[in-house]
Amino acid sequence: MSVEAGHAAHPPVAHQSSRVDARTLGMFLFIASEVMLFGSFFTAYFFVRVVNHQPWPPSPFHLPVFVAFVNTCILVTSSFTMHWALQSIKRGNRAGMQAGLTLTFLMGVTFLLTQLLEYARIGFTPHDQAFGTIFFCLTGLHGAHVFVGLTILAAMTTRAFRGHFSPEAHNGVEIGGIYWHFVDVMWIVVFTTVYIL
Amino acid sequence: MIGIQYVVTTIFFFLAAGLLAMLMRAELARPGMQFVGNQVFNELFSVHAALMIFLFIIPAFAGLGNFVIPLMIGAPDMAFPRLNALSFWLLPMAGLMMLSSFFVPGFGCGWTGYAPLCSTHQELGAVFFNMGVQWAGASSIMTALNFLVTIITMRAPGMTFWRMPLLVWANFTTSLLVVIATPFIAGSQFMTMFDHVMHTNFFNYEAHGYVLGYQHIFWFYSHPAVYIMMLPGFGIASEVISTFARKPIFGYRLMALSLMAILVLGFSVWAHHMFVSGMAPWLRVPMMVTSVVIAVPTGIKVFSWLATLWEGKLSFRTPMLFALGFVSMFVIGGLSGIYLAAVPIDIDVSDTYFVVAHIHYVLFGGSLFTIFAGIYYWFPKMTGRMYNEQLGKLHFWLTFIGFNATFFPMHYLGIQGMPRRVSDYAPRFADLNFFISIASFFLGASTLVFLYNMIVSWARGEPAPANPWRAMTIEWQVSSPPPVFNFDEVPQVVGGPYEYGVPGARHAVFGDRVAEEEEVRSR
Ligand SMILES: [Cu+2]
Repeated sequence: MSVEAGHAAHPPVAHQSSRVDARTLGMFLFIASEVMLFGSFFTAYFFVRVVNHQPWPPSPFHLPVFVAFVNTCILVTSSFTMHWALQSIKRGNRAGMQAGLTLTFLMGVTFLLTQLLEYARIGFTPHDQAFGTIFFCLTGLHGAHVFVGLTILAAMTTRAFRGHFSPEAHNGVEIGGIYWHFVDVMWIVVFTTVYIL
Repeated sequence: MIGIQYVVTTIFFFLAAGLLAMLMRAELARPGMQFVGNQVFNELFSVHAALMIFLFIIPAFAGLGNFVIPLMIGAPDMAFPRLNALSFWLLPMAGLMMLSSFFVPGFGCGWTGYAPLCSTHQELGAVFFNMGVQWAGASSIMTALNFLVTIITMRAPGMTFWRMPLLVWANFTTSLLVVIATPFIAGSQFMTMFDHVMHTNFFNYEAHGYVLGYQHIFWFYSHPAVYIMMLPGFGIASEVISTFARKPIFGYRLMALSLMAILVLGFSVWAHHMFVSGMAPWLRVPMMVTSVVIAVPTGIKVFSWLATLWEGKLSFRTPMLFALGFVSMFVIGGLSGIYLAAVPIDIDVSDTYFVVAHIHYVLFGGSLFTIFAGIYYWFPKMTGRMYNEQLGKLHFWLTFIGFNATFFPMHYLGIQGMPRRVSDYAPRFADLNFFISIASFFLGASTLVFLYNMIVSWARGEPAPANPWRAMTIEWQVSSPPPVFNFDEVPQVVGGPYEYGVPGARHAVFGDRVAEEEEVRSR
């Protein structure tokens, strides 16, 4: 490398050519590709249910709509506590952030456990027609995203209790929060299409 | 530098996939069965395509972009260097996965991996393919995300969108395509894999699955993938042609806008791959119309290159030869594409060698020629040494002749009705196939010239000056190879990237010089 002595120890500071924070933008683009991944599974759902005219659910199966509705409420609430955590740290309220993140995490875990219980008692498997396949794959794909969200939340919560984040530097909470809201909104779409419609 | 690692790795897979192609041509040299059985032949063409597409063309462009784009926009590095390293290291994994599919009961259902052939009725090798595609796809999504964030947030002061070189525009558009479309192939591969491994029913007819769904989901990615494999090449061609014609790009803004038009239209044409699949007949004509409409922005680009060349002071260095080869070959591939977009013609030549000829004129005559153009063009910048010009030109002419001799006769074979993806054929096709096989070995041998040139020049080529091509874009304003972090100071962009022949025009200046020039102006 023909690098002359004296420079190249540190990179020059890149010019910031956009008001958007790089990591936030990265998260939004990542979410865009995640939406498309869900889109491909919704396409499969569309083919089976609309194009193939399959009854939903086909008899003798039943979908536990009430349990899923309660679960939906839990997840939606967790989005609000997430928002509360972010607002707290923006105002310098560290305890509020810690409480908000912990509550969010616990509600996420509750959601996931309820879903697993539901799987165990639902009375059909992924092999039971295309209906079973689509049901388990859509909710399962979402469950995997909840799991990833929980991992991020666990890291954020730990950091919050170790004294990280401040009113000036709360990017970590903000970006993790964006992902969590995405998981939440995606669930509302899955819930509506799979259970309600 | 990850960009160089990328290019070297992808060239390895290019050679591997090329060898597979030559094995195929050896089998096809005469009618009847020669060296390999039917199943092995199926594996050869499946893995050949999978490697060329997912492990060579797409990542080779990503590699060139990785090296050049930060330099071109005046950024010290990509926005997320560690993510960048991760997306590089996923590639060898994906490639080894695809190659090792030969050693389990192999993957022989074609790179399109159609269900149910490739889901419920396949051997373990198909799962290797599924996973290989997932790794390569994840890699390309992460790279695309990185490009987008880099281009949006890290441009040098003064580098507005309308001052970006067209290669940056091209990679910006491509990255948008990747982020939006690639999750669909990920989805399709998950579904076939689940059907195969866990016996789910996505594409299982008896259990009310929708069999054609696979093709719809797959092509909703894989048609845009054609542009993922083409747009960066358009960008490279624009850089090279403008520099070696010493003229500004004709219709710069229209060039950028036609990229965007291709991006949008590219999502509306996927079912032109399914005219004979038994899909809903009403879908045929709309898909035919949109497919033909894409020829408009593409044609704009071709005419713009021609207008850029018009009355230019052309200098026929190796990158320029490859760029010109690209424009001419791509026109042939594009024209046969319009033929194929027409439903009646497509029904006639579907699954014949006409399709094979078309895809190779687009991906070999198009993408590969631009990759070669890009490698020769930035070789001095990447390695700090000049390649051997005579050998470069020799490589071009051997490739150009070998390529046309190999693939042009395939148009004729296809119209005569020779089916693709079959290891045996009717005796009446024998002479032409023998000729094609000889030509393909000639073509394969031409790659040796390239390898020799690259290896020897990298080791002991003449040291390269900072700007051997007298180009204006920023990567040529730093030393060859560039400093570790690309720049000692971030440049200031003051004009368009292609102002060749405009007196006093500059694209970018560095700090001390900014002050100097302002002083001159104030006097
Ligand atoms: Cu297409």
